[in-house]
Amino acid sequence: MNTVIAIDNVRKSFSTGFIPKKKEILKGISLKVEAGEIFGYLGPNGAGKTTTIKCVLGLIFPDEGRIELCGRPHLDPRAKERVGFLPENPYFYDYLTAREFLDFYGQLFEIEKAERDRRIVSLLHLVGMEKAAGLQLRKFSRGMLQRVGLAQALINEPELVILDEPLGGLDPIGRKEIRDIILRLREEGKTVFLCSHILQDIEMLCDHVAIIVGGRIMSQGRTSDLISEKVLFTEITVSGVEKSDLAPFGESLTAQGDRTLLKVFEEGKIQDVMDLVRRNGGRIHSLIPRTQTLEDIFVDMVKPQ
Amino acid sequence: MKIRTVQVIALNTFKEAIRDRILYLLLFFAAVAILFSRVLALLTVGDRIKIIKDVGLASISLFGALMAILIGTGLVYKEIEKRTIFTLISKPIRRHEFLLGKYFGLVLTLFVMLLCMSVIFLVLIFFHTWTVEWNLLVAIFAVFIELILITAVAVLFSCFSTPILSSLFALCFYLIGHFSWSLETLIKKARPGAGRTVLRVLDAVLPDLENFNLKTEVVHGLPISAAHVLYATAYGVVYAAFVLTLAVLIFRRRDFV
Amino acid sequence: MKKNVALALVLLLLALSFAGLKLRIEAIPRPTVPGSSIIYIPSGKYLKMASFGYASLLADVIYIWAIQYYGNDAIQDRFTYFTHIFSIISELDPRYVDPYEVGALIAIYDKRDTRLALTILDMGLAKNSDMWIFPLEAGHYAQMYIKDYELARAYYKKTMDIAGAPDIAKRLYAAASFKTSDLKTAWETWLDVYKTADDEQIKKIASNHLYEVKAAVDAAALKSALEQYRERFRRNAADLEELVRAGLIAALPKDFDDKDYLYDPATGEIKTQVSPWKR
Repeated sequence: MNTVIAIDNVRKSFSTGFIPKKKEILKGISLKVEAGEIFGYLGPNGAGKTTTIKCVLGLIFPDEGRIELCGRPHLDPRAKERVGFLPENPYFYDYLTAREFLDFYGQLFEIEKAERDRRIVSLLHLVGMEKAAGLQLRKFSRGMLQRVGLAQALINEPELVILDEPLGGLDPIGRKEIRDIILRLREEGKTVFLCSHILQDIEMLCDHVAIIVGGRIMSQGRTSDLISEKVLFTEITVSGVEKSDLAPFGESLTAQGDRTLLKVFEEGKIQDVMDLVRRNGGRIHSLIPRTQTLEDIFVDMVKPQ
Repeated sequence: MKIRTVQVIALNTFKEAIRDRILYLLLFFAAVAILFSRVLALLTVGDRIKIIKDVGLASISLFGALMAILIGTGLVYKEIEKRTIFTLISKPIRRHEFLLGKYFGLVLTLFVMLLCMSVIFLVLIFFHTWTVEWNLLVAIFAVFIELILITAVAVLFSCFSTPILSSLFALCFYLIGHFSWSLETLIKKARPGAGRTVLRVLDAVLPDLENFNLKTEVVHGLPISAAHVLYATAYGVVYAAFVLTLAVLIFRRRDFV
Repeated sequence: MKKNVALALVLLLLALSFAGLKLRIEAIPRPTVPGSSIIYIPSGKYLKMASFGYASLLADVIYIWAIQYYGNDAIQDRFTYFTHIFSIISELDPRYVDPYEVGALIAIYDKRDTRLALTILDMGLAKNSDMWIFPLEAGHYAQMYIKDYELARAYYKKTMDIAGAPDIAKRLYAAASFKTSDLKTAWETWLDVYKTADDEQIKKIASNHLYEVKAAVDAAALKSALEQYRERFRRNAADLEELVRAGLIAALPKDFDDKDYLYDPATGEIKTQVSPWKR
């Protein structure tokens, strides 16, 4: 298992304003990403997620610390050959067509023309943009740009793919498609570094997670380790039973039509509720044990700030 | 530095620039100006060709400079503003390869534009004199050298300033370059001493764009010294290299926030 | 860091190179066509339209250029478009006084052409009928350099007619009139000066001039009488009394101070007893 990204105590401050005032954005970030996993990087707005990524890619120069990509210093062009990057809210060259655009980036990697054409075709197919291949990018919608951006990130068949908010601006179908692509990348043995706000996606996709708040890594580890299996409460949706009858077993929440949503905190009481419903001839529509989600941890972590 | 990378970016910049509408607007005005000289020629008494030559060369020079400044100052700035530079820098290219690629792409674009304007101009002259004067081509070549220098300056400012400010600075450079005669007059009138030495240093360092102005020779049919053209070309190229090196220096450690 | 230092050194090297090249280029002689920078000079009117409201600034720039240009002896035939250039400046900013005055000076000292200077000053007066300085200077130049007293007189008259003109104009006019032998005007004008002067010095000057004029008038009358005497008696008169006795003049004129005129029978000259300026 080799380390694909190694960030060691990176610090970065910016001086902004007319009278320069120094603001520290990254206050000593350290993290390691191993090969073949999907790594989630999350944090609230302004925590420093994008700044970290920009440091890794050489767009910003950290004041302190070291970064290594695939075992090489991060600014080495040979390291960058193995990396693909999709920025947040991507914007590309207006006057190029999708095909010309991918061809341009392909040329930067010194890929032969025949091979380039082959990859362009397969990538456009992968992201569902074959029909728009000859269309100028200025006519693309946000979602379309996102997909072409993902294609561009994969043009060099990279070992490491860095994605900054890849699921933003997509409709539900688009999001599912991109999620599937990300999972496919892991199956192919690639490493994915995923930056996102959308916690459900992170929970679904990522093996490892790092949470950054206020320029510091607050928590880092396997997703499964972070989220305990402990059941907080169980949500049961029933019908055919009076609300008042359900009261002793838990909290009764909203009722839609004749259905009542009941929140049961003690595990023992679940069986009692089920018996009650059967006795009254009612129906159990759903029974969902709610475990601690990433959102809960996240909110807890961010709240004191 | 990989030449191939610079080439790829240059061609891409060329493709992008050549599709920019402002180029064609300026080309249109240049053509109008050149053809209008024909009308002006009718108003003059005596040698008509002189007016056509002078207006033609002036138009090519002026509109070329405008193209260089207007497009050059947006060249790097737009990439930063629109954040297309993010995906580009994350590829295995060095920053100076990117910068030089943008520069040469624009130079190529200007070359094509200059060619178009020159063809219109030379055809017009041809219909008046039934000859092709080589002096004109040399004068246009000198204009081209001036343009590559102005482009370098525009790209330099584009690295750290908004297009409007950059255009102003580039325009100042252009004006200072053409007013070098006033500095020479000042030096002649100054008394020997520290002040004059400072002026002399300034004179050597500030750009002298009049070196590329062969209009007088061409219009009056005077001989153009080959040595002058050679040295002037060298001057333009070295100065442009200087400006570009400065741009690379500034661009190297710039944070793209 | 190291790379930055390397780049800085490259910068220095390039800067020295182009500075050196520049000096080398300056050494190469370029054929210049004198006055080629003003081949196509439009008329002032069109230039004014083209200046988009910056006419006065353009006038300044052209004026400054003109001073350098006309001061440059190396340019031959530089006066070919002299009037045109200054008429452009005049058209752009008619009330700008310096160009007219300096233009006239340049014409006089660099080209030694007084008439050209007068043309410029005429332009100034035409555009600024309230500026008495122009005809005053013009009269001055006419009188001093081409000794055209008639012309000078005309200028001084113009000056006098402008409100606010200094009194000296009148005196210059009177003096010029005397020089053109228009003794009547000279007398009347000097009398006017004498009467209206409130300065003792000026009164004295006026009276000196009146003395001079009277002396001239009287001398002319006496000379004419002497001539008649010579014709009749075939010899010069011995003294002026003889002219009265001969009936050629009614009475002997006295000078302005009521003194007699001196007569030299040998040469026939009439002189005053004192010089007008030493009374």
